[in-house]
Amino acid sequence: MTSANGLICFTNCLLPQEDGSLVEKDLWVDEQRGIILDAQKTFYVNKERPARIIDLGGNILSPGLIDMQINGGYGFDFSVYENDDEAYQRGIQMVAERIVETGVTSLLPTVITQEKSIYPKLLGLLKPFSTPTSATFLGWHAEGPFIELTKRGAHAPGYLLPATDGFKAFEEVYGAVNLTEGEDWTMSGDSNPAVRMITAAPEVPGVMNALEESVKRGIIFSIGHSVASTEVATSAIQHGARLITHLFNAMPQLHHRDPSIIGLLGASPHLASPIPISVHLPCNLSEMLPLELPGVASPVSELSSPSPNRKDLSLSGINTPKTPSKHQSRPSLHLEKGQIADMSFERPFYGIIVDGIHCHPNSVRLAYSSHPDGCILITDAMKILDPHLKDGTHEWRDGKRFMKEGERLYLEGTTTLAGSVVTLDKCVRNFSMFTGCSLGEAIKCATYNPAKCLGIETKKGTLRPQAHADFTVFDRQGVVLATWVRGKEVWTRSV
Amino acid sequence: MRLIIREDSTTVGDYIANYMCKRINEFEPTPQRPFVLGLPTGSSPIPTYKALIALVKEKKLSFKNVVTFNMDEYVGLPRDHPESYHTFMFREFFSHIDIPPSQVNILDGNAEDLIAECKTYETRIKEYGGIELFLGGIGEDGHIAFNEPGSSLASRTRIKTLAYDTILANARFFNNDISAVPRMALTVGVATVLDSREVVVVVTGQRKALALSKAIEDGVNHLWTLSALQLHPWALIVVDEDATADRPLLAELHVKTVKYFKSIERVQDEVERTQALLKARGRIAEKQVGSLE
Repeated sequence: MTSANGLICFTNCLLPQEDGSLVEKDLWVDEQRGIILDAQKTFYVNKERPARIIDLGGNILSPGLIDMQINGGYGFDFSVYENDDEAYQRGIQMVAERIVETGVTSLLPTVITQEKSIYPKLLGLLKPFSTPTSATFLGWHAEGPFIELTKRGAHAPGYLLPATDGFKAFEEVYGAVNLTEGEDWTMSGDSNPAVRMITAAPEVPGVMNALEESVKRGIIFSIGHSVASTEVATSAIQHGARLITHLFNAMPQLHHRDPSIIGLLGASPHLASPIPISVHLPCNLSEMLPLELPGVASPVSELSSPSPNRKDLSLSGINTPKTPSKHQSRPSLHLEKGQIADMSFERPFYGIIVDGIHCHPNSVRLAYSSHPDGCILITDAMKILDPHLKDGTHEWRDGKRFMKEGERLYLEGTTTLAGSVVTLDKCVRNFSMFTGCSLGEAIKCATYNPAKCLGIETKKGTLRPQAHADFTVFDRQGVVLATWVRGKEVWTRSV
Repeated sequence: MRLIIREDSTTVGDYIANYMCKRINEFEPTPQRPFVLGLPTGSSPIPTYKALIALVKEKKLSFKNVVTFNMDEYVGLPRDHPESYHTFMFREFFSHIDIPPSQVNILDGNAEDLIAECKTYETRIKEYGGIELFLGGIGEDGHIAFNEPGSSLASRTRIKTLAYDTILANARFFNNDISAVPRMALTVGVATVLDSREVVVVVTGQRKALALSKAIEDGVNHLWTLSALQLHPWALIVVDEDATADRPLLAELHVKTVKYFKSIERVQDEVERTQALLKARGRIAEKQVGSLE
């Protein structure tokens, strides 16, 4: 059913706002152009009002969900390329068409550590892409190969690399053409926003040097699979890193004397510029690792992985301030309640897998409480993501197999978590339960926050005028009832 | 003039909405002969708008053949500013009903030639054959539209400087920044309101008590512009009793004033019932013009 004048009014619905609130309000949409309208302007200036009115019965009309960390789905693995461009493109199209049933309308496909010659080809195939009835592929996320061996998780150890030549090493692996400046790399005339992201460990030699140039070219840098100390992690943020990849996983656990990557969520204005750790930490950190946290029952093998020898961490070539100063912290105390003293840098966004397995609900709440505006829900889902799939053993890649137990996914015969099979809509419901936040605030973490992190918040993850008319209709318990893409309904829950 | 007293602002809104619904439906408007309605902004009419929206949703009322003229708009405030009257009307009323946008008229406070804008507005009202019913509210100083104390009772649509009290009162909508409140507005004149066939005014809240008393118990006076209503043949004021307030709206009125208006409400109801019966039997050819009191 289409509208006589091409305009639709959604009424009797709750609209999630960018501050996490839910407001009862109408929303006007141009179904031809697939965008959200400024209703008042349409009325007074264009002298039009929608011919079609859709009563949503008090349900929630959310911006379409954005999954910015996903490895595949419905049997297709974004990281597997078998010398057949067409088969690969058919694969991503199939995922794009089917994933809308989980409320996802935009996704950033993750390519995990590969044999280095495959990257240029594979990333080239992952240009922004959508069909009129599918979710939007936003670009690519290269997770590896510049990551820390001891925090590799399920990444193939033989393919990990240092970036000794800095950005040159990035170009050599990912392909210079894929790292060009601006949006030239997309070479597409459509209006899809274009996103490129790299997850790397800033302590890996050369990575810190490559970071700044990547950021300058509009590539989002995320800290992950890393053992970076507080000092190195902070320095990465000051060099332009704006995200932490799957918080708590594949990184040192929170240590109160060296809170490392996780500690960035609580970055203190007092230490906005880091002070050399040795001055304040007379203890020998390496003696206190590994951290076994009693009570956090988790089979994650990363936790018990051999402790990195900090003395071996090469900081050579890392451009850290030699004489850290605190001049950007306030020189004196202040008297305004609720005001936090100035920070010299923004705390990073962080992706968090809210399947109840990769992070304990307490950890989820702890992270969210300390930095709500940075919180981004991700699935990190593997290719067997499919709400219809049964438990058991499933093929993965390189002869390896998964063991799926409900929403747990292990490398066969191990206790190593290998990503998840949770859907993003389930993460939204989980998140609301784990943290006690409202459904509107949970939705914000899967819509506006990721869009803001990726710099696409004028087009996706928002209900602003001119943004793409991608919607997820939730009932008031967070169950997806329908999904819209560019002004058209592409999926509805069958009763 | 009639004064209708209801318990609170919600029942006042329901009363006016039902009354307007009856008037519009009895008018049987068509595209050739639309019902022309004057509309106010402000907090007092919001319950009325809510009740009208409910009637439209229940399909008891339609604005398909209604043309509206708003009373006023700030000068120089962008049309999409959250405090503009364009925004108010869209948010509180127009977006929720079925009125075609081409039938909505609001003064353009950003027009290059403000005087021409005002003149055109008057002409447009005349072209529609005048306003059938003007719904209004009042300020604490008894102003109707932006016809502040001292406005000529013969005034027409024009540019008006806001009284300092009004600027102070409106500052709360502009982050309490007095300098951000517009200094001027375009407004229909007192005579523009009086020209309409019928005037309905909503007055709620204890802060309007003195203005109400001045308007209906004292003489016609340009310092309380609502008092000009005394010269209108078909005027209705609907007020709330607000019995719980320390100083109810009616506190300023004489007891006998209240008693008088309460008594004629019953008579009016009787007369209206008789008229409806006669009309049903086809005994009334002429449409009623003016109050039946």
